[in-house]
Amino acid sequence: MIDSPGTSTLIVAYASDFDGWREQARQLLKAGIPPARVTWRDGSDRNDDLFSMGAESLPIAPNAPTPTIARAHLQALSRAARYRTQPHEIGRWPLLYQTLWRLSRGDETALNAADETGAEVQRRQHAVKREAHHLHAFLRFHPDADARGECFVAWFEPAHEVLDLGAEHFADRLGSARFRIATPQGGVEWNGEHFTYHATCPREWRARAQSAASADEDRALWRTYFVSTFNPARLNHKVMTQHMPQRFWRHLSEGDLIPALEAKARHGGQRLAQEASVGERKGKALPPARPERDADA
Amino acid sequence: MELIDKLSILADAAKYDASCASSGAPQRSSRGKTGVGASNGTGICHSFTPDGRCVSLLKVLMTNFCLFDCQYCVNRRSSNIPRARFTPEEIVRLTLSFYRRNTISGLFLSSGIIRSSDYTMEQMIEVARQLREVHEFRGYIHLKAIPEADPKLLEQAGRYADRLSANVELPTLTSLKTLAPEKELGTIHTAMGQIREGIDAANDGARADARHPPRSANPKRQAPRYAPGGQSTQMIVGADATDDRTILQSAQQLYRSFRLKRVYYSAFSPIPERPAGLPQAAPPMLREHRLYQADFLIRTYGFQAEEILGKPGNLELDIDPKLAWALNHRDGFPVDLNTAEPGMIGRVPGIGLRSVQRLVELRRHRKIRFQDLVALRCRLETLKPFVVTQDYRPADAARDSQRLRQTMTEPQPAQLALI
Ligand code: SF4
Repeated sequence: MIDSPGTSTLIVAYASDFDGWREQARQLLKAGIPPARVTWRDGSDRNDDLFSMGAESLPIAPNAPTPTIARAHLQALSRAARYRTQPHEIGRWPLLYQTLWRLSRGDETALNAADETGAEVQRRQHAVKREAHHLHAFLRFHPDADARGECFVAWFEPAHEVLDLGAEHFADRLGSARFRIATPQGGVEWNGEHFTYHATCPREWRARAQSAASADEDRALWRTYFVSTFNPARLNHKVMTQHMPQRFWRHLSEGDLIPALEAKARHGGQRLAQEASVGERKGKALPPARPERDADA
Repeated sequence: MELIDKLSILADAAKYDASCASSGAPQRSSRGKTGVGASNGTGICHSFTPDGRCVSLLKVLMTNFCLFDCQYCVNRRSSNIPRARFTPEEIVRLTLSFYRRNTISGLFLSSGIIRSSDYTMEQMIEVARQLREVHEFRGYIHLKAIPEADPKLLEQAGRYADRLSANVELPTLTSLKTLAPEKELGTIHTAMGQIREGIDAANDGARADARHPPRSANPKRQAPRYAPGGQSTQMIVGADATDDRTILQSAQQLYRSFRLKRVYYSAFSPIPERPAGLPQAAPPMLREHRLYQADFLIRTYGFQAEEILGKPGNLELDIDPKLAWALNHRDGFPVDLNTAEPGMIGRVPGIGLRSVQRLVELRRHRKIRFQDLVALRCRLETLKPFVVTQDYRPADAARDSQRLRQTMTEPQPAQLALI
């Protein structure tokens, strides 16, 4: 039976992660509590929360049927939950509960981009997907060695909670090689077989990632490639920064080359597609076809 | 010569090929295995150079020595440029080093033609073989097919590569004859035809495997893979006088005949040692952009090249080809979003394919209103004259196309405030 909550009193619910939210949301749905009556707080310890005094605790309706929504919808919600909100934005838990409430009542438009909350959920999902993509694209590993041998280490500053998505991706790429990813929040280590997650990244990981980056012997090769593959005749600052936001540059070994290459291209280097240093090398025109002989002998 | 010097020369020599896609490969993972590399069908851009181009693969030439003398090419034999050649081992070393550091998702290897076409192709295959067989590399490999090479070699290349490409470079026979006298369109088409057959046969085999899975999980017992990421080609734009209509028609023909995944357009960039008759102007990037837009309309919106450009000439530079088409076909508009076929909604300028999908889904539940287009972030100013919704009809439906075109291309005058 429903623990008879009043029809107008506020209920405070707590969630520190998606699974916690899902648990709470299920109880609220079973008890038929509409979103307007729920105040969500981050965290799990209600005893410390002064503001919860006077509000009713979570109602229990153990015998009510468990509400269901489509698996794809649940996935959409869990993706959107990885979004880190700004102070002016609606919090993740209330937004998700509003959407869930409507979905559970058969309102399929709740997730449509043409709906106001639907658009917000979609926008967050999109931002999360994009950030996961940034992580896959712009994270850089550098070799480091410890007692157990070679390990590839990286430092990355994700804007949303995507570390685990990146870790899975890199385990597919690197196979049995060990790697470690450090972020300002958590950290993860792959030993070739298993992940070890740290909610707070061990402090020395960051320093090791940075020293490995500067000691990397192949750093010069990559920088050379970056310079040579650039076509100064096609300079296009806008498109580049759209795709590769500047916040990533300082952790890329090619990052500091970008402004220099742009400046050089603007000051005359733009006439030709060829990189200037290549043009300065000694050239070699070849005689007409000498079939069956090595042209570069 | 040091490896780093070779890299500097051979990456510079390879930058004229626009293709850098790493998409379309099958699912591969190294988790729990020896070796390195994965692919999952979607490409990754690991960096962007200041020209706004995606860096996805290590794109280098094996060598820029070349027996041929294609006029538009920086590596032609008469060009007085520094020359270098990688050994297969050097390319393998660079690929693996960059891949582990996560700066690339694979290799795109092309080459000037040395000694003979067969020899050149064999050397390129050797790089791919070492990567796949010696190092168990599961990342992306794109090999340039040398059209004149023995068909057996193309066959071998397709077993290692995710993508093969043979460049037509010039859209017409005449320009090929004048600018690339040693190349033959016939040979290029034969090679493309052969690659297509290889891909088709592998796909048939894969379908048969899916129906009757082989009892053994041994990959040798399964249908062999062949360039699973498909084939592509490139056309240079602006090196000769060919117009956009001809370019798009050739592209359309290539999509149809050889089921190409992509045709790339490369605005001709001025090269050192420029031969007489080739432009010294800045690359026509806007024209290239419009060609990509038109190509996209052909590939995914079901447009024909002849619809986009009704008569010989070039695409308009100041408006995109979809808007240009709509302005020339006002009699088909406005389109009622609540009743129109999805294909027709897709032809409305300012509404993309994703939005078409969402509108069709939404109208199953309720009527489409103008506000929905706002929420879907469609390009409102562009689409306004072309749509009808439950609560909206364009006021300027009667306005003639000429004036409409002007309002859409000219900057709008600043709004005046009422005092
Ligand atoms: S064959 Fe022609 S296009 Fe290819 S490298 Fe040689 S000169 Fe350049």
